[in-house]
Amino acid sequence: MSTLEEFRPLFHPARIAVVGASTTSVSGGNRFIRNLKNFGYAGTIIPIHPKAEEIEGLRAYQSLADVPGQIDYAYVAVAAATAPGVVRNSGGKVRFAQVMSSGFSEIVGGTDLEADLVAAAREVGTRVIGPNCLGTYSPAARLTFTEKATPEPGSIGVVCQSGGLGIDIIRRGQNRGLRYSGLVTIGNASDLGASELIEYFLEDDKTRTIGLYLESTREGRRLFEVLRRANARKPVVLLKGGRTSQGQRAAASHTGALAGSHSGWEALCRQTGTVLTDTLDDFLDALMATQGMDLRPSATSRVVLFGNGGGTSVLGTDAFDRAGFSVGAFADDTLTKLEALGLPAGSSVANPIDVPAGALQQDEGRVAEKIISTIAASGAADAVVIHVNMTVIMGFRHVDMLGNIIQAVLRVRQEHSPGMHIVLVLRSDGDSETEERKREYRQRATSNGVAVFDELAQAARGLAAIRIVETYRSGATV
Amino acid sequence: MTQTLSEVLHKARAMGVEALDEPSGKNVLKSAGINVPNSVVVKIGDDVAAAVSDLRAPLALKVVATGVVHKSDVGGVKLNIQDAAAAAEAASDLRTAMKAKGIEPDAWLFEEMAPRGAEVVVGGTMDPEFGPMIMVGLGGIFVEVLKDIAFRICPIRERDAYEMLSELKGAAVLKGARGSEPVNIEAIVDVLLRVGGDDGILMRGTSELAEIDINPLIVSKHAAVAVDARFILRKEKVIDVHA
Repeated sequence: MSTLEEFRPLFHPARIAVVGASTTSVSGGNRFIRNLKNFGYAGTIIPIHPKAEEIEGLRAYQSLADVPGQIDYAYVAVAAATAPGVVRNSGGKVRFAQVMSSGFSEIVGGTDLEADLVAAAREVGTRVIGPNCLGTYSPAARLTFTEKATPEPGSIGVVCQSGGLGIDIIRRGQNRGLRYSGLVTIGNASDLGASELIEYFLEDDKTRTIGLYLESTREGRRLFEVLRRANARKPVVLLKGGRTSQGQRAAASHTGALAGSHSGWEALCRQTGTVLTDTLDDFLDALMATQGMDLRPSATSRVVLFGNGGGTSVLGTDAFDRAGFSVGAFADDTLTKLEALGLPAGSSVANPIDVPAGALQQDEGRVAEKIISTIAASGAADAVVIHVNMTVIMGFRHVDMLGNIIQAVLRVRQEHSPGMHIVLVLRSDGDSETEERKREYRQRATSNGVAVFDELAQAARGLAAIRIVETYRSGATV
Repeated sequence: MTQTLSEVLHKARAMGVEALDEPSGKNVLKSAGINVPNSVVVKIGDDVAAAVSDLRAPLALKVVATGVVHKSDVGGVKLNIQDAAAAAEAASDLRTAMKAKGIEPDAWLFEEMAPRGAEVVVGGTMDPEFGPMIMVGLGGIFVEVLKDIAFRICPIRERDAYEMLSELKGAAVLKGARGSEPVNIEAIVDVLLRVGGDDGILMRGTSELAEIDINPLIVSKHAAVAVDARFILRKEKVIDVHA
């Protein structure tokens, strides 16, 4: 069976069993069923309950073994001690059982119970995900474990060892414009580990970028080999938890993480072209950068900054310099062409290009397109970073300046792609009206595959993430 | 007669030793194609002057004794021995010194001293998550004080080896900083690959080795020579990289 076929029941389940829904209270199982229904899941939901005939309005069965036919995915949220029995007595009907329960190898004395759970799964030929996790998100199949997740599918596949952080990645990520092909929380990763899911995402056509949150691995060799073989053909971004000795202690009680070495994970990333990040926001920014952009055949290094705000331009140049990019002066012919655009006083067409909002809004903001086109045609930039101070442009409500800039980006990109990356930085003052406008524009840009960042420093980190993958692919020695 | 790496390691572990003695360690390196100094092992009581007559001075003398891993810590090393007569005298002095410390030498190791060069450290460890890993650093304060070390998971490729070296903060030293001669980078890369590459010592010895430490590897403009090497053996088998 191919990897794609093997994992199809997990990411596109036609029949889902729920073990642990209650007739008298609203347990995790009940919430899962309600979430599925609200999310528009179109397959069959089968509650399992020792006595009830009906749960959440659905016909219930006494055990997994009693259910007629195969079960693609079982959501198991029962007391830890009973979980191995649930799997063992399933009559081999279940392809994937995700065990949410805690109380396994992450606690003292829980290792044997986890070993028994894995043994039970092997006996009946079921793959176990977890235990100690929250669920799987597959928007194309309308499968979710958290409310308020968007049903709009995307191109980012995520393996997340933590359940709660998985929700953060979905929700904070989608509000930034990230869209996922799937996200699996793997908890203690007793049976199904990250590397097999990475293999799936590498094969899956819908997935273009892979994100990982990991605290440890029991299959380090396999992970190394899978990522090495992948040769960074899809960008992989790793958020590694427990990289400090105190963080490692926290990880041990969170997911039963082994005491590994930091140097091992750093080496893994360097040897596989994987982007290593330390915070959730850096992780999401790196995913943002890789989500929409086609990578360049050589490493991005020359950056042009263009936007409104002199101080911001200076700080932005500092941020890009620190991140190892060149924000260099234009060649004379490029400068001449930019000067020929006749921008009003107060503008500076040297790199960084600083154009006041008042000038940008002339001709409905179409001057921006002329600037970007001139830079693209000159071949002087590997990346153009357009930054807009939302507070200032809020004063020009009568023109859709930002909308026109986004349109301009799309047109220029189509003409010159993948020669030059173009990203957008939408800077907000946090005022609710500004935030609302920003959300709108962010949505417009990201849904067209244009990466949007909150600040220039974040854009620098996003482009640095892309540079890691480009460098690795190009075969250049760092 | 040359034995395969796993034979040497397996035999040593079967004998219950924790570490290879230095001559055995050097033989492992030599059979892996890594330069080691020309040397002779002289049994206690044998004629030292005659045994060292084919070596080119200056020589180093090192004690070989079961259980002594850090020879210099117990004063078991003498350097800059200029001729055969001095070698015999050095061995005799060292025997007295070792006896005073309650150490019974098994043999003497005489080696030609390596030409001057930069001191590099090459190590190998078994990571609990990733198995065999190779390490490189520059000798002295770079490794010990500044922790200026680069790691990679084995097997490494040539590109990894070059990147490990360029990642070192002290990399400039190898390229000839402060008027010193640049050293042979290719020779270091070659040693890294012979230790950590596809068919390297760490991949072949994964089930037997706990740790290896080539310290120093002396690298001149021309070559890299492993002047000292420690091979610490595993107490039990853990990771099978070929599974």
